[in-house]
Amino acid sequence: MSVPIVQNKDDRAAFDEVFLPHLHEAYRLAQWLAGSSSDAEDIVQESALRAFRGIKTFGAVNARAWSLAIVRNTAFSWLAKNKPKTLVSINDLSPAEQRDLESEGPRGERVETPEESALLKANAEEVQKALAQLPAQFREVIVLREINQMNYRDIAEITNVPIGTVMSRLSRGRQLLMAHLGDRR
Amino acid sequence: MIASTKDSDELQLNAYCDGELDPLSATEFERRLANDERLKVRFDRLMSLRQAVRSLPQPEMPARLEGLIRKKLDAELPSNVTILRRRNWSFQSLAAAALFGAIISSSAMMTIAQYGQRENVASQVVSGHIRGLLAPQPFDIASSDRHTVKPWFTARLPESPQVPDLTAQGFALLGGRVDVIGHDPVATILYKHAAHTVSLTTLRPGQSVPEQTIAGYNVRSWSDGNFTYVAVSDLPSADLASFERAFAAAAPAPEIK
Repeated sequence: MSVPIVQNKDDRAAFDEVFLPHLHEAYRLAQWLAGSSSDAEDIVQESALRAFRGIKTFGAVNARAWSLAIVRNTAFSWLAKNKPKTLVSINDLSPAEQRDLESEGPRGERVETPEESALLKANAEEVQKALAQLPAQFREVIVLREINQMNYRDIAEITNVPIGTVMSRLSRGRQLLMAHLGDRR
Repeated sequence: MIASTKDSDELQLNAYCDGELDPLSATEFERRLANDERLKVRFDRLMSLRQAVRSLPQPEMPARLEGLIRKKLDAELPSNVTILRRRNWSFQSLAAAALFGAIISSSAMMTIAQYGQRENVASQVVSGHIRGLLAPQPFDIASSDRHTVKPWFTARLPESPQVPDLTAQGFALLGGRVDVIGHDPVATILYKHAAHTVSLTTLRPGQSVPEQTIAGYNVRSWSDGNFTYVAVSDLPSADLASFERAFAAAAPAPEIK
């Protein structure tokens, strides 16, 4: 970096308006992506710094999606740098699964679940564990959908993939979760 | 049984549970759901999984984190400016700031007052309609079931309107969305008539919005004791009038609060 960009008070005010209101949500997302509260704190701090430095790139459309996208990207780069082993990624999947995920819709078989009972009998701890074990690409869409309660369009914006991919990842991720929870019993 | 399930079903099921199906598909899917027990089991299962994930205990952010971030960002600002500002801090500048603030806020209030003007209300309602049509789907919640739409509004807004299903009168319920008119979030109910979408926005009662055409869309408004209704559509105004009659006949009962 040759010439550092000088931030002024307007940028700070913009940051306060755009990013700060979503801080709690940012922390929550970071926590779910990183799986540890101390990592989440580091990630949120770094995200805030990135958001502040890049505040001029905010397009004044969707502050929440913009902020969470930064948190999501920071989380993955932070994890790749500091905890490369914890980052179970799409690259660890079989080539068929990978193709499936990157396509607009799943073409493979549905994940077989041992029993199709209507109600899931799993306690919070089991669900949490199963969620934590999902590959990151599945986990992030499920967390963004259920925990952050974002719609498909915002999830697509945050994860930077087409909506079709969001849909297939959500669907497959949920099947995997159910399969995990089924195995546990 | 499982293997025979098509994947497009799985995607549809997920999209339906997430409220992301387009209106026609949602209606069609609800019909299938009512007749297909296996599908219903999968639906219940998916909903119970969603519920399980949603009800997980959520980590709370440590309170000090925000302070830490603020401090970090302060360090990013050029420090001499901060010092200069601190030195100049006095009652005089405080008073000037207060006066300035008062001027700003009074002009902001004037802007807010302007929102009350009815032309402005109508054009904002039309903007909401247009925005809805441009979006992948014109609603936030898709359902042909009034018992889904009404509670959805109730959970989000202080006042929520009756949501009658007017399918028999030719206006099928599509869903609902929240529009922001002035600075108030308000309920908008979506209906479909042939290929036309009708947005019905519900405002505080006692406002008068004249019948007019904005950007090619017809606007028709009426009031009852609970709300002022503004209907927007590319339907001819005669059809909007019959929509008004159908809606008024179906939702006469005042809301019991």
